[in-house]
Amino acid sequence: MSLDLAGPGMKAAVGAGAWRRALTTAIHCLLALLAIAIVVQTLIVVEARPQDLITGVHGMADIIRRAIPPDFSKLPAAFWPTLQTVDIALFGTMVGIIIAIPLALLAATNMTPSRYAYYAARAIIGFTRAVPDLVWALFFVTAVGLGPFPGGLALGVHSVGMLGRLFAETIEQMDMAPINALELTGARRIQVFVHGIIPGILPSLLGISLYRLDENIRSSLVLGFVGAGGIGFQLLTAMNLFQYQEVSLLLIIIFVIVIAAERVSAALRARLA
Amino acid sequence: MLRVRDLSLRYPTGKVALTDFSLSVEPGELVVVLGGNGSGKTTLLRCITRTLKPTAGGIWLGDTNLCGLEGEKLRRARLELAMVWQSASLVRRSSVLTNVASGALGRHSTLRTVFAGLPPAELASARGHLAEVGLADLAEQRAGTLSGGQAQRVAIARALAQRPRVLLADEPVASLDPEAAEEIMRLLQRLARSERLAVLCVLHQVELAYAYADRVIGIRGGRIAFDLPRSQVSREEVHRLYIHEAA
Repeated sequence: MSLDLAGPGMKAAVGAGAWRRALTTAIHCLLALLAIAIVVQTLIVVEARPQDLITGVHGMADIIRRAIPPDFSKLPAAFWPTLQTVDIALFGTMVGIIIAIPLALLAATNMTPSRYAYYAARAIIGFTRAVPDLVWALFFVTAVGLGPFPGGLALGVHSVGMLGRLFAETIEQMDMAPINALELTGARRIQVFVHGIIPGILPSLLGISLYRLDENIRSSLVLGFVGAGGIGFQLLTAMNLFQYQEVSLLLIIIFVIVIAAERVSAALRARLA
Repeated sequence: MLRVRDLSLRYPTGKVALTDFSLSVEPGELVVVLGGNGSGKTTLLRCITRTLKPTAGGIWLGDTNLCGLEGEKLRRARLELAMVWQSASLVRRSSVLTNVASGALGRHSTLRTVFAGLPPAELASARGHLAEVGLADLAEQRAGTLSGGQAQRVAIARALAQRPRVLLADEPVASLDPEAAEEIMRLLQRLARSERLAVLCVLHQVELAYAYADRVIGIRGGRIAFDLPRSQVSREEVHRLYIHEAA
């Protein structure tokens, strides 16, 4: 009796199961086709021609041959641009920190004085990050002319995006218990900030800033390419003048700077933790 | 020293947390408050520190009524009132000594304290307070490295650095093992006697109340159920505090 009753229901269930399996297979096929289509269109759009790479290989070999050995006599002359590149990054990071700290206080839910300030600060932080540093550089070049200064400003403003967001997160995650305790001892607001809040978050803030400095040094190289001065500009000039031995020297310097910045920043951050 | 008169608190939602609550704690006295969860113990302490604003009644610290004060006047009056919590609430990356001395910040508004410095005289007396709680050796350690019991004693030393006349404690031993809990209670009792502090302590451990309190106050449903010297508190009466809660 009960079997009879279950019969049609079971058949319906089996039918539905088969349908569902067929449907899943169809969707999988469709997704595979879509993936292939995406790959094919990228090849067409970027005009990928691997055969050109093969025919051009002796051109590349020629450049590399002409770049060896690196022209170390240009080393003293490269000192100033190198310093400029590192200093643009340092300046940019400092400007970024100075702007990011007050913004982060407004953009942290536990510190913000009002909801409007919170949204305004979040919007500014988001905007500085959304606009690339190259665009900021062009913007500041129109204001203060070519040179390292607009480059530093561009890095500074663009850094606010990352620094502000991470600073705000650090502030939101800090331990409120000692802060409340200090407030109740009758300490003034500024004293609570200095003695209760700063010691708790300073190591994190420094760590984030060091990480940003590392990124800014790499950006600073690229900014040199578009006229902010420094070693990037030197590299561009040497390339345009076909001074490949100087180019290879500059590339070595860049390699050393980038690795050194990364190592030093990582080592300092490890000490802070 | 501390007198609470007819204190009532009704939350904006209409929920009544405290009704006509009166108590007093004299210098040198350790008073323990017992009560079930939600009976109003913590709310009482929060009213006394004026973290919450009571809807009626008065809180007298000596001759000053805290309920009539706001802003800077309240801050000054509250200097006499120190508090410790279940968590030690220390700044974990600072040294033990710095944590203790920071309890004295309310009495100093010098430029030095704004630039992360502490008054040298307070650092010296902070060592004295640390010795009082038996942790003089740990002065230079980071607060984050302490055990729970040690951290709580540092929190008490920080409260002493405030030079209060009243010490409030909100379940100060709730997260400690029995031995550390006994130690903290002995310390509170000793400080009440030697420093002539008025100590008001909320507890969950009935046995500790029997062992250390001079007086026991029972709270049930935001009202006083009893307020008796320790020797007169009966087990049934204490038991009823928690029975009623469950019903």
